[in-house]
Amino acid sequence: MLSEYDHVIQRLEGLAHDRGLVFDPVVFRLTDSDEIAEVASMGLPNRFIHWYFGGAYKELVTQQNKDVFTILELVLNTAPSHAFLRNANTYLQNVLVIAHVFGHADFFANNHWYRKSNKNMLNATEQHARLIRAYEGQYGGERIGQLLDALLTVATSVNAFERSPQERRKRLIYYLEERAPLEEFERVLLEAIREEAEYFDLIQRTHLINEGWATFVEAELLTRLLTVREWASLSVQLCNRPAPYTIGYTLFKHVRDRDGFARALEIRRFYEDVSLIDVVLTDELVQRLDIFVYDPKEKRKSYDLQKVKEMLITQKLYKGEPRIEVDSASEGRDLLLAHVDEDRKLEPKRVGLFLKSVYALWRNPIKLRANGKVYTYDRRGLSST
Amino acid sequence: MKIHRGRIAQYKHDQLLRDYLKQNLNDLIQQKELIIDGKVKTQIATLDLPTLKFGEETQFLAQGGGAGGGGTGGGGDPVQALGGLLGGDHHGKELTVELDFDEFVKLAQEVLIDELRLPAFHEPTRSGEMETEDPSELDDLDRIGIRADLNLEETMTQSLLRNARERGLLDYDVDVQQDAWYFVEDPATFQNHRSVEVYVLDISGSMRGEYLALVRKTIFVLWHYLERRYPTNLRRYVVFQDVAEEKSRDEFFRVESSGGTHISTGFQKAVELLAGATEYDKFLFMFTDGETSSGDFDLAKKAYEDALGAFDLVTYGHVNPGGRGIGGFSEFVQETVRTRPGAAFANLVDLDTIRSAMRDFLTFFDTRTTAPAPR
Repeated sequence: MLSEYDHVIQRLEGLAHDRGLVFDPVVFRLTDSDEIAEVASMGLPNRFIHWYFGGAYKELVTQQNKDVFTILELVLNTAPSHAFLRNANTYLQNVLVIAHVFGHADFFANNHWYRKSNKNMLNATEQHARLIRAYEGQYGGERIGQLLDALLTVATSVNAFERSPQERRKRLIYYLEERAPLEEFERVLLEAIREEAEYFDLIQRTHLINEGWATFVEAELLTRLLTVREWASLSVQLCNRPAPYTIGYTLFKHVRDRDGFARALEIRRFYEDVSLIDVVLTDELVQRLDIFVYDPKEKRKSYDLQKVKEMLITQKLYKGEPRIEVDSASEGRDLLLAHVDEDRKLEPKRVGLFLKSVYALWRNPIKLRANGKVYTYDRRGLSST
Repeated sequence: MKIHRGRIAQYKHDQLLRDYLKQNLNDLIQQKELIIDGKVKTQIATLDLPTLKFGEETQFLAQGGGAGGGGTGGGGDPVQALGGLLGGDHHGKELTVELDFDEFVKLAQEVLIDELRLPAFHEPTRSGEMETEDPSELDDLDRIGIRADLNLEETMTQSLLRNARERGLLDYDVDVQQDAWYFVEDPATFQNHRSVEVYVLDISGSMRGEYLALVRKTIFVLWHYLERRYPTNLRRYVVFQDVAEEKSRDEFFRVESSGGTHISTGFQKAVELLAGATEYDKFLFMFTDGETSSGDFDLAKKAYEDALGAFDLVTYGHVNPGGRGIGGFSEFVQETVRTRPGAAFANLVDLDTIRSAMRDFLTFFDTRTTAPAPR
């Protein structure tokens, strides 16, 4: 029963306000692991249904059933915020989750990048889902399914931070939105998928700072609410969190200890992952967090601050994916793509499948410079020179 | 009512997965270790979105080991890559898909039946069988059964014994997998539609790739027919090279090939396994390339004769993916089957030859409908 948490929700909310946190109302909901896996795999509870989310859902349910991995909490960047508490959690675990959720809610309401985000995303995704169902009726499920596959494939090229039209045009999805010879309904779907992808891109690019801040707030609030013994038992769990939680938490704790709580509030307001890493990470923290650049061929670890920073920042900028740009020589029907980091090889099998997806939207020959050659995809299929 | 979007999406995903598996059956079926932990494992790129990925392992960001300081990562420290963990979305993730073996077999059968355009199975009239409406008598015990037929008394006793043995405690802490005993029909009185099938596989050095694919495809198609004819059957598995051993089903489908070929040992083991079997029909399916080791030929002849006497049908599959001529022991068997009832020979070269082998196999049932069942 959610009502058993009413009191603790009020207490934690009061403590959060006392610490200077400000946020939109949070709607808590007690639910089962299955629904949490469903929302986590789709990203939002009412998003359109797609096989790709089905694979992720299957994986999550399997992992939860095997106790390999459990999602303790889930919270949405909407106004009001919606938070899901797992009914299989212990009371104390859910108290921890509630404190953590207030940290996220504060981040959503105050962080510079989140303030500009679409807080009405639940309505937007509902509309998109209905539109897709209507188009499936009108144009056939298979055609819409293939279009969605292609759109989701190119959607990883979004950048929620990029505002410069010139820079955006280097990213495939924006280029296609502007110039691909699409029918009206296809363009509408491209915009819908792009909008959703930007919503998730923001979450990815602020994963470390957002989770770090929420964990930091959770600790700040719980030390004031729990007995020493309760807090000690939870602290053990805190140390076993995934990397973004522990790295982000350590960075915020370091800021508070060195520069005070007000400075921590300021960082949560103006920074995102890259600036947080760049400004706050030190030699000592790299050692303490035991993060390093690993060379699998040499089996060697490097704790060099500069190397670790560069690697972290590259990871955040390009989400660990190959950086593909639209070449400025692209003109008219010629779409030229280039793998910017050409020294690193791309998985050859995927090149053909990827270009096939792009071709489904561009409908004219495409060239990709990668792996020391030029791949061409046209109506005859894939070739390379 | 809530729309369960996750399950609908999963259904769509699984439909695509089935299509993929059908297209790639030939590669999958050749995996040496087809079953691992009871599952068929596949790494399937197309079930991911076809986003681009780096093709080689270079330096990456990692955490773990707690070693601190510079230097090498030796000493077996677990190194955990941080790439995906820093993202927070599922994009670009490889999914390792696991299938229950039975599900895999069902898919494989769908593909094979379709590809082979196999003859339909005409359910033969079951001469010599008793048809009864009465509920069956559960007058025997077995470790395998259905939950409703759990024998509580025996199960509790087993649990007590196990707990005493393992933990030194006289405690009823039942673990169904380990302790359960079930009421079942006594096989001596239950002969209606039961068979014992013994699958014997030559795992000498040449057993790999296309060879394995042919054997497994043949077995899956055989199962398709045998399961319709015998809703309750017992399957036993033997592998042999210089010596023969009984294996579990899972072990049978993840063989390591090595050693020489002593066909005699395979037949002998199969006959041995029949001791005490009261099943209605007894089948032996032998799969080999027929190249028995020198000195084993006469022994193999004798063992084959013994097998013909013990089984209702001995099907000898000469696995011959290259389509070469038939020599060695296989040639002898091919000659023998011309004159012997209850003996069949199949030259397994490709799908076409599996089809004709199945035709021959099904004639066995046709003859059974007209002739009295052998006892």
